[in-house]
Amino acid sequence: MKKFIALLLALVMTTVMFVSCGEGKEVTSIDDLAGARIGVQLGTTGDIYASDYEKEGSAIERYSKGADAVQALKQGKIDCVIIDSEPAKVFCEKNPELKILDEPFAVEEYAICISKEKTELKDKINAALEELKKDGTVQSIIDNYIGDDTKGKTPYKSTATETPNGELKMATNAAFPPYEYYEKKKIVGIDADIAQAIADKLGMKLVIEDMEFDSIITAVQSGKADIGVAGMTITEDRLKNIDFTEPYTTATQVIIVNK
Amino acid sequence: MKQKFIDNFITDDRYLYLLNGLKTTLIITFFAVIIGILIGFIVAIIRVSYDKTVKETKRKFSIGSFFFSVLNKICQLYLTVIRGTPVVVQLMIIYYIIFADFNVNKVFVAVLAFGLNSGAYVAEIVRGGIMAVDSGQMEAGRSLGFSYTKTMIYIIIPQAFKNVVPSLANEFIVLLKETSVSGYIAVMDLTKGGDIIRSRTYEPFFPLIAVACVYLFLVIIFTWIVGKLERRLRNSER
Repeated sequence: MKKFIALLLALVMTTVMFVSCGEGKEVTSIDDLAGARIGVQLGTTGDIYASDYEKEGSAIERYSKGADAVQALKQGKIDCVIIDSEPAKVFCEKNPELKILDEPFAVEEYAICISKEKTELKDKINAALEELKKDGTVQSIIDNYIGDDTKGKTPYKSTATETPNGELKMATNAAFPPYEYYEKKKIVGIDADIAQAIADKLGMKLVIEDMEFDSIITAVQSGKADIGVAGMTITEDRLKNIDFTEPYTTATQVIIVNK
Repeated sequence: MKQKFIDNFITDDRYLYLLNGLKTTLIITFFAVIIGILIGFIVAIIRVSYDKTVKETKRKFSIGSFFFSVLNKICQLYLTVIRGTPVVVQLMIIYYIIFADFNVNKVFVAVLAFGLNSGAYVAEIVRGGIMAVDSGQMEAGRSLGFSYTKTMIYIIIPQAFKNVVPSLANEFIVLLKETSVSGYIAVMDLTKGGDIIRSRTYEPFFPLIAVACVYLFLVIIFTWIVGKLERRLRNSER
């Protein structure tokens, strides 16, 4: 019995030893990323870029939501978070103890992803997107969410009353303000409005489904959703499995750190 | 097909995600099982002892019986809270609220959460096992001059343990699979490993099937070991 207790104690002690873990590192520029503990959202381009630092001794913490990564950063569990610039601004607004580093980590373009088999739908969406860009709808939607002067001034209003062409199912991850987030039980944001504008052009009814970011491509690929609109960047790996429309906006990846 | 297999597991050493994940899953399960057994047995013994001594004999008030009632209430509270809330929520509470201001190892948090969770279920299983031992055993032990504690340790618990092995094994199989939610706090476990591969290749088939097979394999091995243990324990029977 004594031996048993001693053994158990030893085991518990080993568990406790897990508690001590690597000390953090202050990140002030991109050069400091090597060896730092970097938080990202699983499957985002931030995750893919950050993973290159894994070889240089960085610990990549992949959270299911960007907000979880930010939470961990606030509590000092990680040194920085790599995320798209617009959500980063929202997170920093809500958490004054955080700041965005001035130099952007990467520049990229957002596009809508669509199954490779649905070329017809893709062409229609591209055409609709082209028109929306020309008549300034896309810009006014973006201005409605980004920019201190223009915010909330030009909300997009759906004009279509009839939807003769069925449903357009959109997959997204609604934890990514200002592109998509919940407001009064409804998913709103730049992506949601642009998708609504496209659906209006196509005479379809937009149905938004909220899921984990890393499930969106699988859902679109397997036909569970028609399009994925979630601030998604075109990458080579993604192109192997899925098609993208023309990009609708540009964005940057930035690094958030504690002040 | 072959190309997809290579993409999913060989390119960029992606199989390492699964291998490291498996290691983490095993560490979490192993230590959680130990914490679970420790807590489970302690809580079960407190509960049974309270029922059998303080409650049944209805002795007049004494320090000892008061102390036992308090312990029993604490255990009941623990069981209610842990069994009444989902393990994912407990995991996140421990990580984001209890350890909010500490820079704590996530694997340790997972071990703690799953250990605490499993302890509650083990406690009820063990309590059932102890209750199933004939009360004549306790009486026999006491009349032979053993103290209550000694009768518990040398006579009751060994027999109770034999009773509960199948349900304990069941609980630990559940625990092993439950650790798959530790990805919620960004622990790199087996399921998360599969998720990472999936997020790189955008192809669900191979990563998910591989992860499922590894869990299945682990459970089969574990069941086999428990089967052997049960046979060994049965040797003492006539």
